[in-house]
Amino acid sequence: MASFSVADRRWVARGAARTSSERFALWLTPWVLLLALGLYAGFLCLYRGLNQTNMDNRFAFGLWIFLDLAVIALGAGAFFTGFLVYILGRKELKPILNSAVVLGFICYSGAVAVLMIDVGQPLRAWFTFWYPNTHSMLTEVTFCISCYLIVLSLEYIPLILRNRRLRKAQPLLVFEHRLHLLVPVLAGVGTLLSFFHQGSLGGLYGVLRGRPFAFREHFSIWPSTFFLFILSAIAAGPSFLMLVTTAAQKITRRKLVPEQIFPRLGLISGVLMAAYVALKAIDTLIWLNVTSPAAGFAPWEHYAYKPFGSALLFAEVVVFGLLPAVLLIHGRWRLTGAALACCGILLNRFVLTVQTLALPTLAFDPFLTYTPSWQEVASFGGVIAYGVIVFSLSYRYLPLYPQEKETPHVSGL
Amino acid sequence: MFPGFDGFHWTLGHILFLTIFFAVLLTLVTTVIIALRRTARDLKTGEASAICWHADFSELPESERRCRHELAGRVDERTCPNAFDCRRCPDYARFAALAAVADTTTFGLNYPTDRFYHRGHTWVRAEQDGAYTVGLDDMAEHIVGEPDSVELPAPGWDLIAQGPAWEMTKNGREIRVRAPIDGKVVETGGYDKGWYLRVQPKGQAELRHLLRGAEVNGWLNAELERLQIQLVQPEIAPSLADGGILMRGLMDAVPSADWDTALAATFLEP
Repeated sequence: MASFSVADRRWVARGAARTSSERFALWLTPWVLLLALGLYAGFLCLYRGLNQTNMDNRFAFGLWIFLDLAVIALGAGAFFTGFLVYILGRKELKPILNSAVVLGFICYSGAVAVLMIDVGQPLRAWFTFWYPNTHSMLTEVTFCISCYLIVLSLEYIPLILRNRRLRKAQPLLVFEHRLHLLVPVLAGVGTLLSFFHQGSLGGLYGVLRGRPFAFREHFSIWPSTFFLFILSAIAAGPSFLMLVTTAAQKITRRKLVPEQIFPRLGLISGVLMAAYVALKAIDTLIWLNVTSPAAGFAPWEHYAYKPFGSALLFAEVVVFGLLPAVLLIHGRWRLTGAALACCGILLNRFVLTVQTLALPTLAFDPFLTYTPSWQEVASFGGVIAYGVIVFSLSYRYLPLYPQEKETPHVSGL
Repeated sequence: MFPGFDGFHWTLGHILFLTIFFAVLLTLVTTVIIALRRTARDLKTGEASAICWHADFSELPESERRCRHELAGRVDERTCPNAFDCRRCPDYARFAALAAVADTTTFGLNYPTDRFYHRGHTWVRAEQDGAYTVGLDDMAEHIVGEPDSVELPAPGWDLIAQGPAWEMTKNGREIRVRAPIDGKVVETGGYDKGWYLRVQPKGQAELRHLLRGAEVNGWLNAELERLQIQLVQPEIAPSLADGGILMRGLMDAVPSADWDTALAATFLEP
């Protein structure tokens, strides 16, 4: 055990106080078990088929699609922080950039992994590239997410190569340096890709004419949800980054980033959230008064089915929209605001997937209910565990927070 | 996907969509190829050592990046912005003209004044034949004692200042010693000989970046303080000794200390 500990310490950056190898292994154990369960559930779904889930042809948007939309929105902090630092020159956010990249990588790779299971035929995943349906927003989403995952991997590689042991191999460190110099190019490409795939995910609702609850009118070729998805993602991304950094600071009991980062991130997130809520309110009013009646539905009909009452709409717009925007801008309850903003995005994606499919659209349609199977829940948990493991390993062995060494040590994970 | 393949249609949608997709892919592939080509070029031209040193230097704690003029007491506080390469420092001449106020003690260690000292704990001495002898300084000798193994570069090997010079192991720990000067290795020594390399510089040797005089004492003082703090057992509050001298074979005498950290700091490893 002692030799394991000595060998492990050699991979940890000098001056970075980390917990003992044994405690770290203990911390990882439950997450590894959860990941193993998730992998087993994923294997069952791929081996035995999607009958392992509680989804069917009518209820095809389940827990996994909710997870995909949610983590892709929360992972927007990666491209948006890169955009702010490299394109707009906001250097004060640089101390948080590495962790944003890792978070983005975790979110996108986790989403792609779940999509592979959800599609049910991962061996035919290449079909979407080889036979692209250019009329489908989801084709653009597939292309953009695949490319953006490559971008995130290329941004993550320099971080890995700066590990204390790996950097001793001169060619690797030189490659890291050369690749790092080209990161602004990657940040630019990442911004383009993220902007369009976040939007295209929302663009899906422009073709859902058979689902009046979610269908939205177009501006040119884009429905209003195209813009709302982009805005909500870039509003929630910095909030999620702030929450994760705070959680990391609490768990490790170390100051990982300069204090002034949080007000800056909070203000950015708050202003964007306020803009999102304003547009969301306008969009909702247009939908209630124009779009939905034109489809033959009185607005209240959408909210006649419990538990999806109008309180959910109020919660989405006010409690998890307006309130966090005010808290983030004001700054006093910044973290509460960030948590509410993230919850708001989760609720919005839930409404646009699960609630959308649950509501009947034809006179003879029943109100559908859906409870995920244990395989779906376990796969979901597996992605969460994967994220915690990758982030923990990155924190322990990579320079995730470059300014950490300058801050006083209390005790560390 | 491609013209002529099943599924491709000569429509604006296909052309526009796939053009953007391939442009993005091409940008990513080109980025990686450029990075790889530049890496290969750097490895071939010797630029790699300088790049690695700059990357390592930027990762050193600020307390280990103090300017030599601060160590000599010429300025109150200054962090080196030039990766210890005083040849590139525009302020060097201005600061060097100031009087040094640092103490002249060497704390019981042997630091002869006929040598120049590198921050990675090596010394350089000019010889009559134009070559330079390189050895480990007395503090490093006291810490490591006799190494278990030494891997020296073969004669003819080109050294680059701040790049790797030779490697040693002690009690299972790898130690990489940085080269204090540029030049070609002409002869190798070892622990018994009291020196490790003889180096022939190309043309006039560049020694400006090496410490001498009062700078050595100030630096030594900071280094000994740093070592004492790093060797304190975790359960004991850090404190500094106010007397005594460094004992020989410290790694053997205090095997339980955090030598990973102490050795990395001593030999300028991040």
